[in-house]
Amino acid sequence: MLTEKLIKVSMPAIGRVSNTMVARNTMALALVAVLVLGLAAGYGLAVATGSGRVTTATVGGSVATVTVTSAPTKKVFSIGVTLPLSGELSSIGKIWEKVVQLAFEDLNREVQAYGFNVEFRAVVLDDGTSEEKALQNVQSFAQQGIKVVIGPATSAQVKVVKSYVDSNKIVIISPSSTAPTLAIPNDFIFRTVGSDAGQAKVLATLAFQEGVRKVVVFHRNDEYGKAFADFFERYFKELGGTAIKIPYQTGLPDYASEVAALASRVQSEGADAVVLIAFDTDGANILSHAAESPVLSGVRWFISEGPHSAEELLSQAIGQFASKVRLLGTRPLFIANPLYEDLKKRMVQRFGVEPSVFCENLYDAVKLAGWAILRAGTYDGEAIRAALVEVAKTYYGPSGWTMFDPQGDKAQQDYGIWAIVPGGPKGYQFKDVGLYERGTVIFLEQPYQ
Amino acid sequence: MVLEYQVMINTVQYAFFYLVFSIPLTLSYRTTKVINFAHANLITYGAYTAIFLHGVAGLNIMSLATVVAFLVTGSIAVLNNVLVFTPLQRKGSPPSIVMIASMGLWIVYKYLLYIATDIANYYTSRNFMSYGRITYLDIPRGVGPSQALVAGLAIALITVVSLYVLLERTKIGRAMRAVADNPLLAEISGIPRTLVVNLTWFVCGGIVGAGGVVWTSFSGATTPEVGDSMILQVFTVSFVGGLISLLRTGVGAVLIAAVENVGIALLNTYFGVPVSFKPFLTFTTLLAILIAFPPLGAGGGLPYRFLRRGRGSD
Amino acid sequence: MIDVVGFVISWLTIFGIYSILSLSLNLESGTAGVTNFGKVVFYGAGAYIAATLTTYLTLILNGVDVTETPPYDVRGIVLLGELGSRNPLMSLGLLVLSLVVAFVIAGALGYLLSYPIIRVGPAFVGFTLLSFGELMRVFLQHYEPVGGNKGLMAIPTPFGWVAESRVREVAYLGLVMGVLATTYVVIHRLVNSPLGRTLRAVRDDEVAALCLGKHVPKIKAKVLFVGSGFAGVAGVLLAYYLTSVNPNMFVPAVTFNVWAMIILGGCGNLKGSLVGAAVVTFVDRVLTFVTPYLGVTVISPDYLRWVIVGLLIVVVLIVNPRGLLPEEPIKTPALEVVSEELGGGSG
Repeated sequence: MLTEKLIKVSMPAIGRVSNTMVARNTMALALVAVLVLGLAAGYGLAVATGSGRVTTATVGGSVATVTVTSAPTKKVFSIGVTLPLSGELSSIGKIWEKVVQLAFEDLNREVQAYGFNVEFRAVVLDDGTSEEKALQNVQSFAQQGIKVVIGPATSAQVKVVKSYVDSNKIVIISPSSTAPTLAIPNDFIFRTVGSDAGQAKVLATLAFQEGVRKVVVFHRNDEYGKAFADFFERYFKELGGTAIKIPYQTGLPDYASEVAALASRVQSEGADAVVLIAFDTDGANILSHAAESPVLSGVRWFISEGPHSAEELLSQAIGQFASKVRLLGTRPLFIANPLYEDLKKRMVQRFGVEPSVFCENLYDAVKLAGWAILRAGTYDGEAIRAALVEVAKTYYGPSGWTMFDPQGDKAQQDYGIWAIVPGGPKGYQFKDVGLYERGTVIFLEQPYQ
Repeated sequence: MVLEYQVMINTVQYAFFYLVFSIPLTLSYRTTKVINFAHANLITYGAYTAIFLHGVAGLNIMSLATVVAFLVTGSIAVLNNVLVFTPLQRKGSPPSIVMIASMGLWIVYKYLLYIATDIANYYTSRNFMSYGRITYLDIPRGVGPSQALVAGLAIALITVVSLYVLLERTKIGRAMRAVADNPLLAEISGIPRTLVVNLTWFVCGGIVGAGGVVWTSFSGATTPEVGDSMILQVFTVSFVGGLISLLRTGVGAVLIAAVENVGIALLNTYFGVPVSFKPFLTFTTLLAILIAFPPLGAGGGLPYRFLRRGRGSD
Repeated sequence: MIDVVGFVISWLTIFGIYSILSLSLNLESGTAGVTNFGKVVFYGAGAYIAATLTTYLTLILNGVDVTETPPYDVRGIVLLGELGSRNPLMSLGLLVLSLVVAFVIAGALGYLLSYPIIRVGPAFVGFTLLSFGELMRVFLQHYEPVGGNKGLMAIPTPFGWVAESRVREVAYLGLVMGVLATTYVVIHRLVNSPLGRTLRAVRDDEVAALCLGKHVPKIKAKVLFVGSGFAGVAGVLLAYYLTSVNPNMFVPAVTFNVWAMIILGGCGNLKGSLVGAAVVTFVDRVLTFVTPYLGVTVISPDYLRWVIVGLLIVVVLIVNPRGLLPEEPIKTPALEVVSEELGGGSG
């Protein structure tokens, strides 16, 4: 009896849910509900503050759509688009979103002009520059019946979706993935951007032509940077120069110490140029620090396309540095391509932004996707893939000829040379000053006098 | 060649930054016993105050930016304390719970800032995700030391001197130290504990923000990840000081700055270690310090420092 | 006309993987009080073990010279694509091998790390593990044999030999659910046992537990072994699911995502971890169907989702640290006996 009482007193909580606990739990659940409602309200707010709607989604191929009431009902095709609207590449992604809008409008207009009674709709999803989300997005597209997806942007993301799209026969067209390890034939991955091997050759030719013979290649320690550096080294050696490679860690907040190490290496090796293979953020960071180094300000600098069109490079520090070292960069470009110039003009006119890197490749990806769907005859992955290869053979767009090589990557790519010159609204601007033609670099103007 | 000019300058510059970011961390931990993940946000918000002032309002006056940033980040720190840390501590939550709550705060502030940069981008068409170096009008520039060096020196000096004066010479400072040593006793002896704690948070948070402003004159491209990428190093520096001693934190700042700049330069030149190995070096140092000199006090490794052989039953 | 079956399959697969992670984290932090901020280390270790073992062995067992054609080279990748789907026995064998090896190695890693963790004390466990995670990541980025920064891709999946893709997906889901069930049972038994009671004692008051004669360091080491082992297993499943790994997938943000799941669901309650994982993964999946309808927005829904996750963590911790589901009493046989004696005291 006593033991029983003792046990009852000392272990009151066994199996009993006290009233306070119930109250607390209800409150917690209520709070969660409020927060979920907050999420919904947030979306409402987001929609309210957003202006301009991209023509929104519908389910692929089905005729049971929302709008369109004109007599012969238009057939609507959906094309999935997965963009890095948040995360590391979000500044580029946002510009791409606008390019997509433009491209779909042009595509629909073109298709109407040819007399097809169809409409293409973009289903845009953000993949946050993350691999898992890219896969998630592609799966969602597939589950909505979509068979063609534009994107994802990074090679790491393409690698993760490859198995899924190959099994489920979904065509992927990436405008910006350049990893050599994805140059695989007979799969469902297509890339409307040329391999970096071509650009490395141009950069090597440019450097050699400008008179440098010993360079230090300062490159990102990732697949892009390493592959590019390896190609550059090979081509530069063929021409008769020597290259020393220094990789640097990506994703750091600041590169002052790396640049210092670079400076001491340049000095000790007696190099006459630095070749920088970077993206925009790290590129701008490195150039700003290089501007403060007397050693680095005394050699020539050559850059890959990564930092091109990034606003951070138009700061005073970098602009002055550019003219001091006569900075020259390469980038994929069909120079004086009227279609590209037109795209550029319309972007500025309509959205107030200059096209960023790979915008033209993205634009052409959209166009190719649309025409491939039409020419395929049926909305089926295999048929669309076959049609895509054919369409690309004769299509010329802002990115030039879009023909694919046997691995599904852009076969022909021309390159241009760019510089940073004074002028423009921010004090400095990017200028295309030359092109690469049959093994030599031809300058259309001399940017640094 | 290794100890060349640029490496030394960088070491000094980074020492200034680590000083300004870590000393407030040590001070706030010492007084409140809260491991604050949201400290990273204070750095980022300080930098972005300057960036928004420059990008949206066109102002690049450092003294103005520093003051505004001080107020902004100081208030954020106080807000965190009032809304989150104090309620949790009053409930008797263990320090790990408070740390996890600070992690939640860190996430909230981080993505709020992302949203803010998106909105700013929408209205001004400028890219705030990666913002170029800001050249300030009120700091001498041109020949000689860079703006960041001058500003860094100024902020570091002001921080050290004013904190010294505050803590050693003023009544408020003594009250802070009392609360740090023994909160209950301090309260009993009449010190307004809540006020003192909030003031500590305000001052600590503010200093960090001011440091963030100086960062914008140093870095070629500031991103919203700025605070997060430095937070582990900042904590390393504070750990060198055992999270108690401000002086040792200062030593730690110089030490870590040296490891990162001179250390990696040495390894690169004499052993061919790629420069991209720098984070590895930093984290190894952090782990070595944590393991060799575990911080004392509640939540520290106290009970096991005297364990010799395996003892006791399972 | 949404492919609901496909949606459910893809959602449940990722839910399964995250649930295993949540359960392991709950065991460590919710029950034993080891605030593991480095969960992603063991997750990544498991993924890399699966990736390395499977790609290298597939090539080697098929007679390919891996010094000539390593699996991270484009030729190796093409070969993997062809060879991976030929031999069912090999694929399944590699699966089992990866699971076992990953559990053992990740677990051992956790066990070894318990030493520095004990030394630094409970409050700094978080940072120690976090820095160790970053250390591993930088190391992997430089280590060529596992692909360096490129990572490994075209990892042959256990069911690659199945012709029909939908069947393959269902089979994989079955595998994930099976592993999840095993994990749940094992951890449930661990928690509802005298050991579980000891773990909670350690969590609630370490010094007291020490005074009572519990060898706290050894206990923590054991817990970390089990928890990390299961995280490694989750990593294996992830590697096969994504068919590609690279070091940048395993960043601290992943750990925090898992933390959000267990806090939401309730620390100390295993079913709560499942609920938390389910809610978070479901919301993420549903968002991908909803967001295209919003058009171009100024505020990215992705960012908003994270702000809400952070707020939820803070709010839940302040209001009700137990989360949605409260911590249940430990169900040992002794408890049952006592409850019966008290005349059905469980209510």
